[in-house]
Amino acid sequence: MFKNDERYWDINLLNKWFAISSLVFLLSMIWTFIDDNDDEFKDYQKKFRQLQIKATEKNLGQELDEVKDVREKYDKEFAKAQSDYDNQSDQVKSINDELGKFRADFYKINLNYSEKKAKLDVIKFHLESENAHHLEGEIAQDSHHGAETKEKYKIKTEELYKVKLDKENLEIEIAKRERILKDLKTTLKEVQDTRDKILKKVNIAENKLNVLDRSKMSFMNKIGDIVRDLPILDFMDPYYKVKQTVVKDIHYDVNFTAMPAVDRCTSCHLGITDPDFADAEQPFTTHPNLDLYLTSKSPHPEESFGCTSCHAGRSRGTSFVSSSHTPNTPEQKHEWEEKYSWKKIHHWLQPMLPTRYTQASCFKCHTNTSDLAGAEKINLGLTLVDRSGCNGCHVSSNWPSTAKSGPDLRKLNEKSHPDWVAKWIQNPRDFRYNTRMPHIFEQANQENPKIAKRNITEIASITHYLFKDKITRKNNNPSKYLGNPANGEKLFSAVGCMGCHVSEQDPSMAPQPITFKELTKLQGPNLIGMGSKVTPEWLFNWVKNPHEYMSTTRMPNLRLSDSEAKDLTAYLYDNKNYDFDQKRVPEVDKTVLNELTLDWLMKMNPEKYAIEKASKMTEREKMSFVGEKSIRHYGCFGCHNIDGFMDAKPIGVEITYEGSKPVDKFDFGLMHDIEHTNYAWIENKLRTPRIYDRGKESNPLDLLKMPNFHFTEEEIEAVTTAVLAFNTDKVGETLLAHKNAPDYNKEGHRLVKKYNCQGCHLIENRGGQLVEHIGAPEYGPPNLNTQGRKTNPNWLIKFFNNPMTIRPNLQVRMPSFHQISDKEWDTIIKYFQSIDNENTGYRAPHQFVTGSRKFKAGEKVHELGACNNCHFYGKTFPIQTASTWAANLALTKERLNPEWVVDWMREPQNIMPGTKMPAPYLPTPDVLETDDAVAIWGKDLVKLKGDQEAMLEGLRDYMWNIKGKVDISEEIKAYFDENGYDFSEGEDDDEDDWDEEDW
Amino acid sequence: MSLVAIKSAIDALSAPTISFTVLTVLFPFFFPPSDWFEKIHRKLGFWRLWTKAGGITGLVLITAFFVIGYYDKNFNITLTKPDNFPIVLMIYSMFFFIWLAMYKAYRNDIRIDQGLKPEEYNDPDDKVLVWPDLVYIEFIALILFQVFLIVWSILVAAPIEEPANPAATPNPSKAPWYFLGLQEMLVYYDPWIAGVLLPTMIIVGCMAIPYMDINKKGDGYYSFKERRVGIFIFMYGWVVLWLFLIVIGTFFRGPNWNFFGPFEYWDLHKVEALTNVNLSELLWVKLLNQGLPSNILIRESVGFLSVGFYLFILPVILAKTVLKDMYEAYGPTRYTSLMVFGLVMLALPIKMYLRWMINLKYIIAIPEWFFNI
Repeated sequence: MFKNDERYWDINLLNKWFAISSLVFLLSMIWTFIDDNDDEFKDYQKKFRQLQIKATEKNLGQELDEVKDVREKYDKEFAKAQSDYDNQSDQVKSINDELGKFRADFYKINLNYSEKKAKLDVIKFHLESENAHHLEGEIAQDSHHGAETKEKYKIKTEELYKVKLDKENLEIEIAKRERILKDLKTTLKEVQDTRDKILKKVNIAENKLNVLDRSKMSFMNKIGDIVRDLPILDFMDPYYKVKQTVVKDIHYDVNFTAMPAVDRCTSCHLGITDPDFADAEQPFTTHPNLDLYLTSKSPHPEESFGCTSCHAGRSRGTSFVSSSHTPNTPEQKHEWEEKYSWKKIHHWLQPMLPTRYTQASCFKCHTNTSDLAGAEKINLGLTLVDRSGCNGCHVSSNWPSTAKSGPDLRKLNEKSHPDWVAKWIQNPRDFRYNTRMPHIFEQANQENPKIAKRNITEIASITHYLFKDKITRKNNNPSKYLGNPANGEKLFSAVGCMGCHVSEQDPSMAPQPITFKELTKLQGPNLIGMGSKVTPEWLFNWVKNPHEYMSTTRMPNLRLSDSEAKDLTAYLYDNKNYDFDQKRVPEVDKTVLNELTLDWLMKMNPEKYAIEKASKMTEREKMSFVGEKSIRHYGCFGCHNIDGFMDAKPIGVEITYEGSKPVDKFDFGLMHDIEHTNYAWIENKLRTPRIYDRGKESNPLDLLKMPNFHFTEEEIEAVTTAVLAFNTDKVGETLLAHKNAPDYNKEGHRLVKKYNCQGCHLIENRGGQLVEHIGAPEYGPPNLNTQGRKTNPNWLIKFFNNPMTIRPNLQVRMPSFHQISDKEWDTIIKYFQSIDNENTGYRAPHQFVTGSRKFKAGEKVHELGACNNCHFYGKTFPIQTASTWAANLALTKERLNPEWVVDWMREPQNIMPGTKMPAPYLPTPDVLETDDAVAIWGKDLVKLKGDQEAMLEGLRDYMWNIKGKVDISEEIKAYFDENGYDFSEGEDDDEDDWDEEDW
Repeated sequence: MSLVAIKSAIDALSAPTISFTVLTVLFPFFFPPSDWFEKIHRKLGFWRLWTKAGGITGLVLITAFFVIGYYDKNFNITLTKPDNFPIVLMIYSMFFFIWLAMYKAYRNDIRIDQGLKPEEYNDPDDKVLVWPDLVYIEFIALILFQVFLIVWSILVAAPIEEPANPAATPNPSKAPWYFLGLQEMLVYYDPWIAGVLLPTMIIVGCMAIPYMDINKKGDGYYSFKERRVGIFIFMYGWVVLWLFLIVIGTFFRGPNWNFFGPFEYWDLHKVEALTNVNLSELLWVKLLNQGLPSNILIRESVGFLSVGFYLFILPVILAKTVLKDMYEAYGPTRYTSLMVFGLVMLALPIKMYLRWMINLKYIIAIPEWFFNI
C-alpha cells in the first residue's frame, strides 16, 4: 500500500515499536489484574481454609467415632428397608399404571362434566327468566314455553348428577392407589430419617468438608470452585472475599458527617468466633472469653458491636498495615517490622489501641461505673482518678468528682504547726511514704539552684498564707488528751478503724493500691507519724467527732467514749517521725522574697510601679502576697478547701476528650525519643510530669506545674487507660449499658464506694477486708448479702442515723455517718433494694394469730430449737457465753422483713455463708407419725404433718410475738465494759482436757 | 570533604538569597543575549552544555543528586512523597527539552555561521500524511505513556490523607505544583499582585508575544543567535521565575513556609525573624524620625513616586537613550507593550532583592484600600 520512501518515518521501525509497546501494554494490563486481585487477605483466607479442613477432619473423625457402634445397626435397617421397597417395585409399577389410566379417565370425565354443567347453567338461566316473566304477568301461567324448559332442566340435571357420581368414583379409586404408594414410601422414609438423625452431626461435618476441601469435590464442583474466584468472574459468588460487619449503631466521625463503622477485620481474623481455633496462630486465633464477647449469646455480639468499637483502628482496612494495627511492646514492633514490613499509617486519626489499653473502650458504653466486672484496669484507673483528685486541676466532665480529694485547710491552725506544714509541702513522702498528696516541689525542672531557692521561699510564703491571721494552737495540757497507748492499739485494731486506715511503718508491708480490696484499706491516710504532725487535743477531738473540724470529711463518727478516744489518741500520738522532725524548715530568704514579689507585681504593672509597690510592703505583707500568688499558681485549691480560694477555677487542661486529641496537639517539648503516640505522651507525663520541660529555657513562672504522684507502672497503665477512655466516641443509644438500671442504682453504687462501705462489709460479694483482718466472719462486720430484702427501709434509715448494737459480741462497731444526708441514705437503701429486686418502700406490721395451729406449732419448734442459748430476748441474756451471742429477737419485728426471715431460717448458710446460726430443726413427716408423736411434739406440730413452710412460718410468727426491750446497746456496753472482749472461742475446749493417762 | 560537609554546603547554598542570585547572575552566560555575554559564554566553555556530552553530563548530575539525596534521611521524605514524583519528572523533562532545543539551535547556528541553511531546510516541502506519519507515532507514544501511567499507579498508592478537618490545618499547606510558583511569589508580594495581577500579566503577555515580536528570523527552524534576546528573556521568566520557584516550593519550603535546605530536618518549631518594613516606614520613621503622616497619599508618596518612575518614566528615558534603536525598530505600541510586560516581570526579582537586602515589605502600603505593592 504505502511505500517506505513516501513516508516521513521508517515504517518498519515504527511497526517494531508498535509491536513492542503493545506487548508491554498487554503485560502491564496483566500486571494490573494480578495486582488488583492479589489481596493480602486472600492469602490468609487460603491458609485458614487449610486449617479449617484439618479442624473439620478432626471433628469428622470424632463424630464418626461417636456413632461408630450404633451406625452399623441403622445402616442395616436402612439397607433392609431399601431392599423391601425395591422388592415391591413390580407392585409399584402396576399401581402406577393403573393410576395413569384412572387419571386419564378422570381428566376426560372432568371435561365432560364441566361442559355439561355449563350448558345446564344456561338452561337454568332461561328457566329463571321465564319464571320471572311469569311472576310479572307477561306470559300466561300455563304457557307452552315454560313446560319445555322445565322438562329440559330436569333431564339435564339428572344427567349431570350421573356424571358427577362417575367422577367421584374415579376420584376414590385414584386416592386409594395414591395412598398405597405413599404408605410404601413412608416406611422407607421413616427408617431413613432415623438413620439421618443418628448421623446428623457426621453429615454436617462431611458436608462442610466437601465444601472446603477441593480434593473431595466432584470434577465439576472443582472447576466451579476455581472459576468462582477468577478476576472479574468473582463478582458473582467468590469463596475468597472481603468479610465485613456493618455496625449501624456505631459511627466513625469524618468531620462533616458520620459513617456507620464497617469492620472488615474478619476478612483475616477468620477464626475469631470459632472456639476450635484457640490454639491457632494469629490472625486465626479465637477471641479470648467468647462468653463475654462476639458470640450472639454474649452481651457484646459481633453484629451489634463490630470490632473497632473496642479496639479502634482502621475498620475498612483489608491488609495488615492498612488496618492500623498497633504493636503492644517494642519487641512486637520489631517483629512486625520484620515480618509484615509494618509501619504506622500517619493519616488514620484513631490508630488501633495497643492491647494493653483495650479496656479504655469500655467507658464509652459503661459510662457511669468504676466497678465493671471484667474490666479491672479501667476500674483501677477511674478509681485512681477519683482518689488522686485529677479533677481538681483537670476537669473531666464525663467522670466528674463529687468532692475535693484532699483535706480542708481552713482550720489548719487548729490541727498542725507551720513548721510541719512547710516541710510537708516541700516533700510529703519524707513524712508519709504512701501519701496521696503529690510532690509539687523538688521536681526535675526545679533542680536549678536559683529555682530551688525560689521554691523554698514560695513554700514558706504558702505556709505563712495558710496560717495567716489564725492562732496556732499550742500544745497545752497534752496529758488531758492522752490515755493508754497499748489499749489504743488494741482499739485501733478492733473497733473498726482498720476498715479504712492502716498504720504501717514498713513500705514493703503496706497495701499495694492495685486491687479493689487493697484500695479499700487506703480509703483514709496511713496513720504513721501523728506525733510529729498534730496536737493531742486536735487528735482527740477529731476521733471523737470528725465533722466538727471538717464538715465534708468522709470519716464517720465511731461514737467513742472519752477514755476510748484518749487511748486511741495516745496510741497514734506515740508514733513520731524523728527524721522528719530533724529536717530543716523551709524559711524565707529576704532577697528571694523580694524577687518573687517583683516578679508577680510585674505581671500586671510596669517595673517602675512594681518596685514602688514592693518597697511599700512589709516582709509579712510580701509573704502573704507571694503565698497567695503561689497557691493560685500551683493550684493547691484543686484538692483542698482554702480560705480565699473557694471559687477558684482548676488550673489544668480539661481532659474530657483527651483520648481523641490528635497526636500533633500533644506538646512533646524537645523530647524526640518518645514514641509519637498519645498513650506514650500520657504515660511519660504520669511517670515524670515535668519531662516535657527538659531542655527548655523557661522563665520560672512558665515552668510546668503538674505535681508528681509517684505512680507505679501498673497505676500508670491504669490511669492512661482511663484518660484514653475520655474521648469523643459516640455509640447509638441502643448500645449504652445500664440504661435499664435506675439512676439510684448507679448513684447508690457510687455512694457506697465513696464512703468505703466495702472496706468493712461484703457487698455484692466484693470487699470485706476488715472481716479478714478480724479473722472470723461471725465477729466481723456482716456480709450485706440480701440486705435490701432483709431489713425494713424505715428501720434501716433510723439505724443509719443512729446505729444501735445488733450483734452483741462484736467489738467492731458500725460508725455514724452524720455527713450523709437523708436523700443520700434513701439512695443507698434503694440501691440495696434494687440489687435484690425488692421494691417495697413501706411495710405494714406483720399480722398473725397467736392461737392458731401454725403459731402453736411454731412455739414448739422454738422450744426445740433452744434459741435462747444464743439469742437475747430483750434484756434477758442468752444462756451460753459471749462467744456465741446473737441478735436480740425482740428487735426482729421492727427490723426484719418477715418473708426474708423464713428464707433465713430455712437455710442460713445460703444467705450468710459461715454464719454460726444453725437451721432450726423441723421434724419430718415420718417422725410425726409415730405413736408417741403427740406426746413428744405436741398436737399442733403433728397436725402440720411435716409441712416445712408452715412450720417455718409458725416459728417466724412466734418470733414476732417476742416482747422485750428493743435497743439493748446500753446493756451490752455495760457488760463488755466490765468483762472485756477477750472471750474464748468455745466452752467445748473444757471437754478436751488432757486425760492424765494420755500423757 | 565529608558528605556531611557537602550537604551542609548545599543546604546553605540553596537559600533563595544565594541560589536565586547565582541563577540570575549565571543565566545570561548560559543564554547569552548580547555579544559581551557571548564572549564569556565561549571563554568559560558553557556552550559545551548544549552538546550531546553536555546533555548526558547534565542528566547524570541530576540523577546523581537525586540518588545521593535518596539516602539522606530528610531529603528522602520529600523526594519519595508521592505528590512530588511529578516534580522530579518535571526537572528531568524540562532539562531534556531545553537542552534538546538549544542543541538543535546551536547546530543550526553553526551552519548559519558557515553560510549554510539550517537543518530543517532539508525537511520535505510537501505535506506528510496524517496516517501513518502523525497518528501512528502518536499512537505508539500513547500506548507507551499509558503503560507508564499503569505501572506508576500500581507501584505508588494514591497519597490520600486524613478526612479534612476544619480545625486542623496541614503545615505546610502547599498549593499544587502548578501554583507553587505563585505561592512562592506570595512571600514577596501582596496576594492581589501575586495572585491576580502577575498571573494575568503572564497569560496576557504570553498571548501578546507573537504580536510584539518583529524578528522575522528563526522562524520554522531552531536558532539561538538569531533570536537571542527574546529567548533569553523568555527563558529567564520561564526557568528562573517559574520553574525554579516551583522547585523551591516543592523541596525547599517546609513548615510555616520557612526555608529549609534539601538535607535539613523540617523542624516545626524553627523560628526566623520577620522584621520587614514598608517603604513609607523606612522614610518617615527610620530616616526622618517622625510619625507616619495621617494622609494616605502623603504617607505613600515615595512609593507612588518610585513606582510611577519605574513604570512610566523609565521606559521613556530608556527609549531616548539606551534602547533608542529598539524604540525605532518596534514602534511606540509594541515598545510600550514590551516595556509594560518586561518591567512588570522584572519587578519580581527586584522586589525579591529589596526584601532580602533592606527587609522591604511593601513599596506602596495602603491596607485601608487593600492596595499594596
